[in-house]
Amino acid sequence: MEPTEGSQVRSASCGAKYEDIGVESLQFGEEINLLMSIQPPETGSSFTALLELPSNQAMQLLDSPETNVAPATLSGYQIEHPKTYMPIFPSDTALIDRACKFSVFATTENSPETSSIPLNSRSKSDKVKQEPVDLDSNPNSSPAVSDSMVLKQDEKSSAKRKEREKKGKESNKKSKNVANENSQDGEKLPYVHVRARRGQATDSHSLAERARREKINARMKLLQELVPGCNKISGTAMVLDEIINHVQSLQRQVELLSMRLAAVNPRTDFNLDSLLAVEGGSVMDSNSPLVVMPSMWQEGQINGNRQQYQQLWHFDGLQQPVWVREEDNNNFTAENSLLSYDSSANSALLLPNQLKMEI
Amino acid sequence: MRMHNISSLKQEFLKKWAMGLQTYRASKKDMSIWERKKAIKLSADIAMASTRTANSYWSRALIYNSSKNHCNKVPVEHVLGSESECLVKASTQLVMNNKRVRSKKILKRSCSVRRMKKILAVPQVGLASSIAKRLVKKRTQVLKSLLPGGEFMDEFSLIKETLDYIVSLRVQVDVMQQLADATDRLNRSKVINKE
Repeated sequence: MEPTEGSQVRSASCGAKYEDIGVESLQFGEEINLLMSIQPPETGSSFTALLELPSNQAMQLLDSPETNVAPATLSGYQIEHPKTYMPIFPSDTALIDRACKFSVFATTENSPETSSIPLNSRSKSDKVKQEPVDLDSNPNSSPAVSDSMVLKQDEKSSAKRKEREKKGKESNKKSKNVANENSQDGEKLPYVHVRARRGQATDSHSLAERARREKINARMKLLQELVPGCNKISGTAMVLDEIINHVQSLQRQVELLSMRLAAVNPRTDFNLDSLLAVEGGSVMDSNSPLVVMPSMWQEGQINGNRQQYQQLWHFDGLQQPVWVREEDNNNFTAENSLLSYDSSANSALLLPNQLKMEI
Repeated sequence: MRMHNISSLKQEFLKKWAMGLQTYRASKKDMSIWERKKAIKLSADIAMASTRTANSYWSRALIYNSSKNHCNKVPVEHVLGSESECLVKASTQLVMNNKRVRSKKILKRSCSVRRMKKILAVPQVGLASSIAKRLVKKRTQVLKSLLPGGEFMDEFSLIKETLDYIVSLRVQVDVMQQLADATDRLNRSKVINKE
């Protein structure tokens, strides 16, 4: 399928990009490694995993906040809102709370970036100073969590800074208008500690706006990976353009296909009121063993002819189709005849569906 | 991993779609092609939405929109099955809440904007940034109009919903495509057999 192939191509290019960035020297690489070791190994090793399947990980990132508010990195820890532990910013906790949602993505998404962060000399003083403070604080789990999150946030910010510098401070101004809309996130997340960059305002509003902006940019990146052809484009407006085009084309495709299906002539003897074969698994995953492929058989009589359709599924010999027979002798409509579904197992492999009709 | 989920998504979608289509069984003879198309599309959309109701807002908005139209009631209920009642209610609640919240926000913003305009007499720094801002704003508007229930979302959740929506649309298109191809093939072979 095109998405998988496309994502692998993208991941290859992403890998190249990461390697380029990683040439820069890491000022506090040791501290990063230290903190990385605190993390569950999952994120540490997710570097390669993330590169291989960017869109999948993206989807997982999407799913994880909903299903489990604490992402995988924090699962080992007991998360308490570290209300007493607010290192630098006495800022508006409510605003930062909302901005916290980003931290969920930041932690998991940044693990590949942590190992190849280009550090700006400007930020070095800030971060290095912060490091010992963070590490020396209470050895509780929650500060450890917030430590890692602080660092992740830093690394994310520093990574983002490289892109940001090109745009200058204007990007922050851009966020002002957007940030005026209050977003109410229902999820409760641990605090994210946003760091003020040198030369930028430190009041709570712009901090929150910046955090929010980074959140949005992170998600835009996910979108970029998902939509084919978006990786080369820089600039939110263009990317949004592509996304809009993609969504519109998908919607149009749905319309066309439903038209096409409606045009199937219901009058023909082709009346397959027999079967509904539900088989979607093999389409995406030709390599992994398919679990169960439920397909529903329907036997009915049409015009005195006994039409029996069999489907032979030739997979990699990995699994066996499971036939579920439904005893229902109703005649189905044309719409159900459409659902005599013997789709090819894998459009990429083009395993032809072998349909045997006994008339 | 989403990859595994996609295959199960497809299966679920197909099953629910079939359920929805079954409701048209009786009236099949009388339907024109347009009605058939609408029926197919509706069932497909609802099936798609019902597979994602737990996680996304657009699906609930879609269900809400469809259930507003009274003649859609039967397939909706059929597809959603037992949970249709509570689901529809929940969707309605959600959409209504968001509408209320949204309109309040708009009201508040319009009041404060006037105030801000008096305070900020300073012109925007950099023409380019304001142009870019406007472009982005316009695009977001378009995207909101595309997405079911999109008008009530803020930018952040809009992006997340778009992601989800795109994936679901892809699944839908894939399944429908395969079905259409299969029926074409069958038709052709059938015709050949007849001759």
